[in-house]
Amino acid sequence: MSAPYALKLAAQSLFREKWINLLSVLTIGSGLLVISVAFLAAYNIKAATGRLPEKFSMVLYLDEGTTKAQIDRTMLSLKRDPAVSSVSYISKGQAMKELKATIRNADALFEGLDENPLPASLEVKLKKDSVGPGTVKELAAKAGRLKGVREVDYGEKFLSSLYSLRRGVNSLGLILIAIIATGIIFVCYSTVKILFYRRSEEIETFKLLGATSWFIRFPFLLEGSVIGFSGGLLSLIGILSFYYFGILKLSLTSPVFRAVLFPADLFLPLPLVGLLLGLTGSAIALGRLRY
Amino acid sequence: MIHFLDVTKHYDNQTAVRNVTFSVDKGEMAFVSGPSGSGKTTVLKLIYLAEKPDEGTITVAGWDITRLRESGIPLLRRNIGVVFQDFRLLARKNVFENIAMALRIRGIGEKETKSRVYEALKSVNLRHKSDAFPPQLSGGEQQRVVLARATVAEPPVILADEPTGNLDPDTAQGVMRIFRDVNAKGTTVLIATHNRELYRNSGRRVFRLEAGNLVGDGIH
Repeated sequence: MSAPYALKLAAQSLFREKWINLLSVLTIGSGLLVISVAFLAAYNIKAATGRLPEKFSMVLYLDEGTTKAQIDRTMLSLKRDPAVSSVSYISKGQAMKELKATIRNADALFEGLDENPLPASLEVKLKKDSVGPGTVKELAAKAGRLKGVREVDYGEKFLSSLYSLRRGVNSLGLILIAIIATGIIFVCYSTVKILFYRRSEEIETFKLLGATSWFIRFPFLLEGSVIGFSGGLLSLIGILSFYYFGILKLSLTSPVFRAVLFPADLFLPLPLVGLLLGLTGSAIALGRLRY
Repeated sequence: MIHFLDVTKHYDNQTAVRNVTFSVDKGEMAFVSGPSGSGKTTVLKLIYLAEKPDEGTITVAGWDITRLRESGIPLLRRNIGVVFQDFRLLARKNVFENIAMALRIRGIGEKETKSRVYEALKSVNLRHKSDAFPPQLSGGEQQRVVLARATVAEPPVILADEPTGNLDPDTAQGVMRIFRDVNAKGTTVLIATHNRELYRNSGRRVFRLEAGNLVGDGIH
């Protein structure tokens, strides 16, 4: 079959069955828009939580009377660990100074203190990629065994909650994408199946006249692809409108929305995604033609 | 050209044709006759594989079509022009498009399609009806469109199932004249009919079926 003739047949059918096709385009468009909004939310949550590990640090409180030589050995041992980015020593005096700077106007609290009760400590910063509940727990256990180290503090609960949230968002996003993508394939499947049944007499005649399976299927596949592509295009317009006429306008009045990131280039392939889903649905609907 | 050897076909518990053996030579025009339900349509359907035989062998142009894979069926059908009893014209396509379909299926280009369709329409005297839609045509005109569609690609074999079934005698004679013209060009033609007038004194071979059995094979 020549491509122009297949295009002609597909165009004729698209026009003839315009209402069912329009309904399918709108359904696919809405589905992909929901996926896009969910993706945008997941992207922003990931970006926001992704910045937190840069600020993460572990504090190793040292025993009273730990010698400088012992502290140097501990620091050296920690620096050798591939997950560690830097180690800095905070003396007792420095710790008190920082505490006073944190709690302003609370001089009364420190009155009557004969000696500084705060211990000296080591602040360990980790490499961004190494920050994770497993690595940190392992490093904390290792650091705790070092000579002169009394206690290790690293906000275990916060870290595991943060990573649970990221995992949850990722899993939920994937499940949502899988469900809606299946739904879109089903919409295309149903549309092409309906069109196929409505033209069953014509198809039967084609087969009796000697048309190959490809000759019969090609216009339907083309039609499914066009429907999917149009749905994808509609969702692209939808997500762009959502950002430019929704989020951006809201950010003028509410600062929360100013932090929203919009990776426009990641949404550009939406029509192509729609096309592929449409093509898949149509191919499944057509199945194998029997003569 | 067409050979049936001990061919049997059942539909559920009914036997449509039983141990049928006959041959149609290349370039011959022959008839399959018999009353309604005698198995005429089944014989034609078995040739273009709309039905598959339960037993026996059928060869068309040297191919054993009983062993043909499903992917080979379109190629077989492109070598056979069929005049269907129920016409099988597409109501949403005009006369030109209905005939052109037979060429497009064969991958023939637009320019050649156009000239061949108009030629075929001229041969059945329907050149002026090319833009009409099937429901706008009379039974005889529809029959001639189907005939044009069956012959436009010049297949080596033409099968016709009751081609004059609902036509008045004059129109029926016109249709038969077209079959004779097509046959004169070397095309093998096999016509299934219950109308004895079509082959009486024609000098053509007639295979007579009764209740699925071949009961006669002779020249009339």
